[in-house]
Amino acid sequence: MSEPWINQICDQVKQAAFEQRTVQIAGNHTKVPLENGFEEVSLTQNVSATGIVDYEPSELVVTVKAGTLLADLKAELAQHKQMLGFEPPEYGGSTIGGTYACALTGPSRPFRGVLRDFVLGAKIIDGRGQPLAFGGKMIKNVAGYDVSRMLAGSKGSMAVITELSLKVLPLVEEVTYCKAIPESDAIVLMNKMAGTTLPLSGCAYYEGLFYYRVFGEHPKQTDVTACTNDIWLTLNPFKPKLQAHQKLWRVDTEGPAPSIPNTLAVGMCGQRRWVVSEDAPAEYSTLWQSYFSPRHNDTSPIANIKAGLKNVFDPSNVFKTL
Amino acid sequence: MNVIQELKKSLPSGSVISDKEQCTPYECDGLSAYRQTPLAVVLPHNIDQIITILAICKRFNTPVITRGSGTGLAGGALPLANGIVLGLSKMNKIISIDPLARTAVLQPGVRNISVTQAVEAYGLYYAPDPSSQVACSIGGNVAENSGGVHCLKYGLTVHNVLSITMVNMAGDIIKLDEKDDGVDLLALLNGSEGLLGIIVEVKVKLLPKPDTAQLVMAGFSSVSACADAVTSVLEQGIIPAGLEMMDKFSIMAAEEYAKVGYPLDAEALLLCEVDGSFDQVKVDTQRISTILEQAGATSLRVSQNEAERVALWQGRKNAFPAVGRFSPDYYCMDGTIPRKRLAFVLQEIEKLSIKYQLQVANVFHAGDGNLHPLILYDANVPGQLHQTEKFGAEILKLCLDVGGTITGEHGVGVEKLDSMCHQFATPELEIFHGIKNVFDSTGLMNPGKAIPTLHRCAEVGQMHVHNNQLPFPELERF
Ligand SMILES: Cc1cc2nc3c(=O)[nH]c(=O)nc-3n(C[C@H](O)[C@H](O)[C@H](O)COP(=O)(O)OP(=O)(O)OC[C@H]3O[C@@H](n4cnc5c(N)ncnc54)[C@H](O)[C@@H]3O)c2cc1C
Ligand SMILES: Cc1cc2nc3c(=O)[nH]c(=O)nc-3n(C[C@H](O)[C@H](O)[C@H](O)COP(=O)(O)OP(=O)(O)OC[C@H]3O[C@@H](n4cnc5c(N)ncnc54)[C@H](O)[C@@H]3O)c2cc1C
Repeated sequence: MSEPWINQICDQVKQAAFEQRTVQIAGNHTKVPLENGFEEVSLTQNVSATGIVDYEPSELVVTVKAGTLLADLKAELAQHKQMLGFEPPEYGGSTIGGTYACALTGPSRPFRGVLRDFVLGAKIIDGRGQPLAFGGKMIKNVAGYDVSRMLAGSKGSMAVITELSLKVLPLVEEVTYCKAIPESDAIVLMNKMAGTTLPLSGCAYYEGLFYYRVFGEHPKQTDVTACTNDIWLTLNPFKPKLQAHQKLWRVDTEGPAPSIPNTLAVGMCGQRRWVVSEDAPAEYSTLWQSYFSPRHNDTSPIANIKAGLKNVFDPSNVFKTL
Repeated sequence: MNVIQELKKSLPSGSVISDKEQCTPYECDGLSAYRQTPLAVVLPHNIDQIITILAICKRFNTPVITRGSGTGLAGGALPLANGIVLGLSKMNKIISIDPLARTAVLQPGVRNISVTQAVEAYGLYYAPDPSSQVACSIGGNVAENSGGVHCLKYGLTVHNVLSITMVNMAGDIIKLDEKDDGVDLLALLNGSEGLLGIIVEVKVKLLPKPDTAQLVMAGFSSVSACADAVTSVLEQGIIPAGLEMMDKFSIMAAEEYAKVGYPLDAEALLLCEVDGSFDQVKVDTQRISTILEQAGATSLRVSQNEAERVALWQGRKNAFPAVGRFSPDYYCMDGTIPRKRLAFVLQEIEKLSIKYQLQVANVFHAGDGNLHPLILYDANVPGQLHQTEKFGAEILKLCLDVGGTITGEHGVGVEKLDSMCHQFATPELEIFHGIKNVFDSTGLMNPGKAIPTLHRCAEVGQMHVHNNQLPFPELERF
């Protein structure tokens, strides 16, 4: 039988479906302020929705309730010399459920992978108010469609995430080096370095400097300066000071693609560019101020698939459509 | 006109095989216990031809069973009598390689090993390495989300694919990219077993070839000591590139076959490989040796050079055929369990082996808890195949009972449909059917595979009761 807090949310969702109302799922509101007019399905207002369910460091797996604060989860893992491999950005009070729903990954992405790569299983409540479980706690599991990885990035539009099982990694010591070179040279260099066995866990270009982060045993680095790891907190999450009229875009691109005019920062072997521009600077551009509005327009077959899946998980449109 | 005539008319000559005898090589995949001759085998050269084939099949309501290299071990590519096999072996070109971006774009029929061979000159390789890598196709790897010896450290196929181009039954060409926003359709396609779309192009991530690799081999006087040693290595913060375990029977069989110097007095053998930069490998090898000694290894050997490392792997890599020499047939199971339950599960398998009077060998990926018990049997002895299958199903049940899963890397196919009824409850299965319907409302893509019907689960008596709400409450129950 499900725990009372799960039953409560199930009932709330069923009631909303019955009354044909839309609800907004919320972690800890570290995103855009809640829009008025929506009833909230809150994960953090209920203490039962937070906490670690199961954690066996030697299995490299943690199972955690979705309302758990990222900071609490990271602290618990660190006590066992482990970490979240996807280096999620911390907005001050983000929950693991909200982080998963947004599917955002930090600078280690080209080296360790994206958020969903670390997802092993998820428990959810769908738009019918049914508790469902997909995946599991196994590092290898190919039974059934991979719903738990698929829902990463669903941003509260398909189901309430109540519990996640994640693969964790050993905590590593990291050091950062930097040097001054032109941006276009830095983009090529990041990619060249990523093709070697240097144990990289981050690389970026910011304010005229090329930064890279290395972990574990590695050869002595020459022609560079050792600097603090703080730069990665400046870039993740990236919150530059902008003029009121300026628009900030996040561009996901091929790593070695050429420079884009008005770039403020380059990360992840060139795969991530932060650009100030009036219009979308490239194909995979996200207007960062309105992260929760739809991004690049999906072409029709993909839009149809997404609409179809929304209907499978949430036939009564209880959850806010993106 | 019938579907075969229409296909022949619309495609270049030689693309359609309808002669019964010539269809025979396609009547099964790696799970040869199940066979079925298809209506025809169609071998397209390009995406346009695939679209033509699908349009014709749709018109004639003919099921389409996509096939890569047919090495699948769960009957995923098993034909249907009224369906065609869509073989992708002719679409086997490497479309492009970008060494600086460390990516390659591949047609679906490219063999797994060919990718690494093609990019070796740039100091790169493709990490997922199923044991079948010399034969299996990239399309098949994506459809099965295949793993290999290295997946504890380097992940499964899903972790190494950057984009997929697929064709749906309506003939739309759909590109799914890791950069896409919203729900992760790219992840969903990995492991979809040919039910959601035909994968026609795959862009993969390439990794730098490690400077070096070193293998530590340790013998243990009990399976549980060996399993505990695995736990210790991972607890100490080391993620080996490979962490494989063999039981006594497998050690003996492999040594007799490959003569590599495995310790015959050991009850269990651990092969632990680390790779990376020279500095890191040196440090890790030293730490692992110490950990294994402390865990009570009765013998310890560290490979001193590349030739020795490769030689020591030969026993493990040939373990299946080596064990196979002791019996006319064997059945390879695939389930995953939490590592901490290894010793218990192996003991239980031993008990089942006595119950069924069938010998079992255990060679497996200890690092990720993925077991491959090999059940030895003789198909010529009446009833033995059936007993073997029952034994296999009990092993999978055991995996579930300890919190594991019925398949770690081989997929469900037709083989594990009934076990899916153990693992998933009705509402989850309904969601799976819903997903299938979104991608393929005709139901013509690989029907009857991977996801059991609710009816089937009810028949095998495995229907779960969820939240005390009986599905089909109107039906009488016994
Ligand atoms: C301008 C802007 C920039 C941002 N930049 C970043 C960034 O760089 N990196 C980053 O990680 N995040 C960013 N965010 C998003 C957000 O701050 C974080 O992702 C955070 O992790 C969300 O966590 P939360 O618990 O506060 O969730 P909330 O802010 O409460 O919710 C976030 C989203 O997730 C959904 N959600 C939350 N919990 C659940 C659940 N349990 N089940 C289902 N859906 C759920 C919500 O419906 C909502 O769509 C940005 C947001 C904005 C507006
Ligand atoms: C000796 C041996 C060792 C093995 N070792 C491993 C191992 O270590 N790890 C592992 O994971 N597996 C292993 N396997 C299983 C098998 O090799 C893999 O599952 C492999 O990925 C199958 O690839 P294939 O091209 O042969 O696919 P097939 O057998 O032809 O097809 C497999 C499934 O994928 C579908 N499919 C194939 N191509 C496409 C496509 N382009 N689009 C859509 N659907 C498609 C088929 O319909 C079918 O359902 C092994 C098999 C053998 C025989």
